[in-house]
Amino acid sequence: MTGGVVALSNQPVPAEATPSRVVSPYGDHQPAIAAPTPKHAELVALNLLSSTDRAALGRLMRLWSTDIVALTEGRPPPGDTAPELAVPNTALTVTVGFGPRVFTRPGLTAYKPSGLDDLPVMRHDRLLPAWSGGDLLLQVGADDPVSVVHAVRRLVADAAPFARPVWRQTGFWNSTGPDGKPVTGRNLFGQVDGTGNPAVGTPEFDATVWADGPEWFRGGTTLVVRRIKMNLDTWDELTRSEQERAVGRKLSTGAPITGTAEHDELDLDARDADGRLVIAENAHARLSHHSENDGRRIFRKGLNYVHDTGATRESGLIFLSYQADVAGQFLPLLTRLDAADALNEWTTTIGSAVFAIPPGWHEDGWLARDLLA
Amino acid sequence: MKTKLLMACAVVALPLLLSSCGSSDSAAAADTAPSVSTPSVLVEDAWVRTTTGAKDTTMTAAFMSLTNPGGSEIKLTSATSPVAGTVQLHEMAMKDGKMVMREKAGGIAVPAGSHAHLAPSGDHVMLMDLKQPLKPGDEVPLTLKFSDGSSHDLTVPVKKFTEEEEHYHPSQTPTPAS
Ligand code: HEM
Ligand SMILES: [Cu+2]
Repeated sequence: MTGGVVALSNQPVPAEATPSRVVSPYGDHQPAIAAPTPKHAELVALNLLSSTDRAALGRLMRLWSTDIVALTEGRPPPGDTAPELAVPNTALTVTVGFGPRVFTRPGLTAYKPSGLDDLPVMRHDRLLPAWSGGDLLLQVGADDPVSVVHAVRRLVADAAPFARPVWRQTGFWNSTGPDGKPVTGRNLFGQVDGTGNPAVGTPEFDATVWADGPEWFRGGTTLVVRRIKMNLDTWDELTRSEQERAVGRKLSTGAPITGTAEHDELDLDARDADGRLVIAENAHARLSHHSENDGRRIFRKGLNYVHDTGATRESGLIFLSYQADVAGQFLPLLTRLDAADALNEWTTTIGSAVFAIPPGWHEDGWLARDLLA
Repeated sequence: MKTKLLMACAVVALPLLLSSCGSSDSAAAADTAPSVSTPSVLVEDAWVRTTTGAKDTTMTAAFMSLTNPGGSEIKLTSATSPVAGTVQLHEMAMKDGKMVMREKAGGIAVPAGSHAHLAPSGDHVMLMDLKQPLKPGDEVPLTLKFSDGSSHDLTVPVKKFTEEEEHYHPSQTPTPAS
């Protein structure tokens, strides 16, 4: 009886034991944040029905917590209408967030994490309401897209008495190299994307990501979701060295153009024979580097997306940024990049949303209990 | 309850409905003395269907998975809940060409080393004479008693059921077993 309650027999037993790909739903933090970017992911934003008060939101969180435990362990949640779609070992994770408007509801106004506000519209933004805002966020990731859509379907169905979806975004990422080892992964410009992130498990990471207040939010974080369209047609017209100059890193390895290995430090002072900065004044990696931003850091986890309409394809990045404080860490960086980033010529942000990501919970608890119980 | 017999649960291989429960269940209940180390039934993924939006808000049902890791059959023999005046164990049966629910004589068997799935369209714990509406996300205390003398106190979440209302709550009234 190894396979949980559903699968008793008639499942082929693998010849060698495969490593467990179950990510525990429990912990001090919601588990997906520090885990590797999933191969497949879906984000769903929902708006609360007007009848969903604080108590009702608490009931939804209890339901979702039960669902999340079952789904991550590969079992159908209670009442699943397609239970065979729940399978274990897909590294399934679910992350839940609350948009700024949740903290305008009676009984919740005193608990808003500081700095949690929708971002002001940037000069280069072309935001569409269809990709923006939302009261609740569900982010589901897994190794396998069937598991992702099944989990999303259950969670959205169980939320029906409380909230209605307003947008959905599907993305993908490859953070496994050809030898099976973890790699940073690439966006659709072909760039290695994520190198400059604070490394998980370091004090720098903890200080960047985890909030220490208000009380209920200790161990939580905030998430910025930006849907950024990338113009591959005009990008492809550039020479390789023009492409590399826009960021200040090499396409081959992701190394700084002043270095040789991916994780070499950027040399922001290096100059060429003519005295010009090697990493240009407006290079993306310079402008966003913590040394140029009073030490401000963020933790980025992108997902590539494509969106097809008939024969027309739009490509882009679902840019995800985690930080303890949106207004204090993310917004100054964004403002700076909007003003001067070389990449702006090929990128356009068409969606924007901000969420508080409550801390994790343990076996005797449930999501955001300290806020909603 | 349901008028159609839908699949509703993953396990086909299990002898879910034991047609002849004639052999007395009290005999089984008395027969619990041996093997002290026999582990009791595991209860998982229990849930109760909401009364929100239901036609008849005085009754609903609880569903769950029961696993019996031991070497002899154990039966779910009764259940109680403070939210319900009456709690019965029900099965679905064909009557006049229709599926109807009725009380399950002898309780719900969990075969040795196997499972019983209480699911919509199959066996269930019927909560009747409800004392209050049950909203999605509410939690309902439920106590299950088994033939091995064990009992389980559960806190069961109330959920919306996505299958069509009419399959589940037809207009006819339940047919209690005689
Ligand atoms: C489609 C849009 C974007 C693309 C294609 C992109 C691409 C890249 C690339 C290739 C790097 C260098 C490798 C790395 O360190 O990860 C990078 C670094 C970085 N990007 Fe972006 N980026 C985009 C949008 C943004 C936005 C909107 C922000 C923040 C407001 C941002 C903040 C950063 C930061 C903080 C770094 C790390 C710099 C360092 O410390 O070395 N990026 N980005
Ligand atoms: Cu019934």
